[in-house]
Amino acid sequence: MSAVKAKNGEMIVFKAVKKIYNLGAENVHALDGVDLNIERNEYISIMGPSGSGKSTLMNVIGCLDTPTAGTYVFEGEPVHEMDDNQLASIRNRKIGFVFQTFNLLSKLTALRNVELPLIYANVPREDRLEHAKTALEKVGLGDRMKHKPNELSGGQRQRVAIARALVTNPSIILADEPTGNLDSKSGEEIMKIFDSLHDAGNTIILVTHERYIAEHANRTIHLLDGKIRVDEKNNIKKN
Amino acid sequence: MLQLFFENIRIAVSAIFSSKMRSFLTALGIIIGVLAVTLMGTLISGLDKSFEKSMSMLGKDVFYISKFEWFGNQDYWELRNRPDIKPEYAEKLVEQGKYVIAASPQSFRMSDMSRDEKSITGVSVIGTTTDYMQTSNTTIEKGRFLTDGEHNSGSRVAVIGYDVAEELFDNSDPIGENVKIGPYKFRVIGVVEKQGKFLGLQSMDTQAIIPLGTFQRLFSRRGFFRLSVKVDKDYMEEAEYEVRSIMRRIREIRPEEPDNFAINKQEAFETTYNSIKLAIGGTGIFITVLSLIVGGIGIMNIMFVSVKERTREIGIRKAIGATRNVILSQFLIEAVLICLMGGLTGLGLAYGLSFAISKFLPSTMPISLAIIAIIISLVVGIMSGLVPSYRAAKLDPIEALSYD
Repeated sequence: MSAVKAKNGEMIVFKAVKKIYNLGAENVHALDGVDLNIERNEYISIMGPSGSGKSTLMNVIGCLDTPTAGTYVFEGEPVHEMDDNQLASIRNRKIGFVFQTFNLLSKLTALRNVELPLIYANVPREDRLEHAKTALEKVGLGDRMKHKPNELSGGQRQRVAIARALVTNPSIILADEPTGNLDSKSGEEIMKIFDSLHDAGNTIILVTHERYIAEHANRTIHLLDGKIRVDEKNNIKKN
Repeated sequence: MLQLFFENIRIAVSAIFSSKMRSFLTALGIIIGVLAVTLMGTLISGLDKSFEKSMSMLGKDVFYISKFEWFGNQDYWELRNRPDIKPEYAEKLVEQGKYVIAASPQSFRMSDMSRDEKSITGVSVIGTTTDYMQTSNTTIEKGRFLTDGEHNSGSRVAVIGYDVAEELFDNSDPIGENVKIGPYKFRVIGVVEKQGKFLGLQSMDTQAIIPLGTFQRLFSRRGFFRLSVKVDKDYMEEAEYEVRSIMRRIREIRPEEPDNFAINKQEAFETTYNSIKLAIGGTGIFITVLSLIVGGIGIMNIMFVSVKERTREIGIRKAIGATRNVILSQFLIEAVLICLMGGLTGLGLAYGLSFAISKFLPSTMPISLAIIAIIISLVVGIMSGLVPSYRAAKLDPIEALSYD
């Protein structure tokens, strides 16, 4: 893999990224030439109506999918050239996912769920448990480690998911509608966690269609028809 | 890597035990398959053992000359018209045969035996000569065998089988005591060592050996005779040729005529036995392979279902960094584990059943068979798990994550 030089502070560099899905007769341009730079410790929200390509952008940033055209360099590594195993490895090491539907494994306890990425990273058992416990404590679930997802409330589940995303100490946390399945109070709590994670130096990308959620971020990207329409800094940050 | 392996085993175990009934039904084909293969193997090895033991009673270096072949399909009328074997042939064979070590004629009849109030039925009474000791693999435990004098004088003496002694004398010493064979009084001069059953059928321990002269006088003069001829075991082929030519000379058979007697050998049993064994084994293998294939298909089917059901789980695992190989091995281990558990269950059942079988047949499960059964279940597991696991491994994480 040829290492591509990234400018200082630049974590994610998209150059003319296209993602084209072939749906039978017609090609859908989910991403239609996206240029994007994301730096360390940014707090970004991605907005746009459904079908605008925000999920696709999320998937490509998260290395779940590769661009059809264009280049994507993540901390100097050319993601657009990677094969399946390399993608799995970069997801494991550098990306923490938080999903709208939590996506926890229902048969495993909170602790085992959080431990999982470390297993795939081949971390020794003792270290694994320690990291997982620390991560759970960080999201305020130190007393719920042995609970299974169905014994936890929605907000607690999402916090387990955040702990899982954090446990590998990733370069970036990607959250796809993280409050979409939560009541407003739980949603607020989750957003507070994201805010404090950002304050602690993490890089966070949120996908949302709620303006008040997006306002937590200090940069908002609006997508429409696979193109970036607005890319603006938020001056006023909510509390 | 080892960690991942253990993790995958943990996942597989929890998947298998979270739906116990389904796993059991899935493994049933393998259980039956392994049960079939191990039972068949146990049975055959048991047969082998008892056959070997029985064959040692016959002796490799002994020819049995009789009117009929043991295993043959000659025309009945041709056989019926053959002349009877006469006891005198034995002496001639010993006299003329360079390779003949001993030869004894034997005649048989079934009779009851009794002593005072005690009696035993179905004793095979053998009339024979002193050479019998050499031509049969008999060992005298107590007392002595018959002498030539007793044969010539027609003495009423008997060497009795182990079970007969036990039945009629309990723990007391039978030597010198009187017993009755049918209505006739005999004096016991010896007891034969315990021999067991011949091919699991005929007990060699319920017998009484009496001098041929006595036998002919009391029971029948023109009975059915068999000759046992012990020959030099280093010259078996020459010996057979020699015995055949002596017999033809005695019978005055012209060169172009076929034999009108049969020289039977232990080999004849072996040939027949091997073909029986092949038939049993062949049927067993057929049943086994069939049930393993059916079992394998069952496992493949359930693995497809399992992959489908856990599509979302696969998506989650991939999203947080599981590679294709990790997912592949996760499902492969599950399939192999189901098969292995099935295999072990089958093995356990077969082991238990082999005890029941051993009541009828001396059978023990050979360790090699257990290993083979385990290997077979491993192979079935891998073969039936490979395609579903591969399908799981190459799932697209995005599609898998949005699967309901």
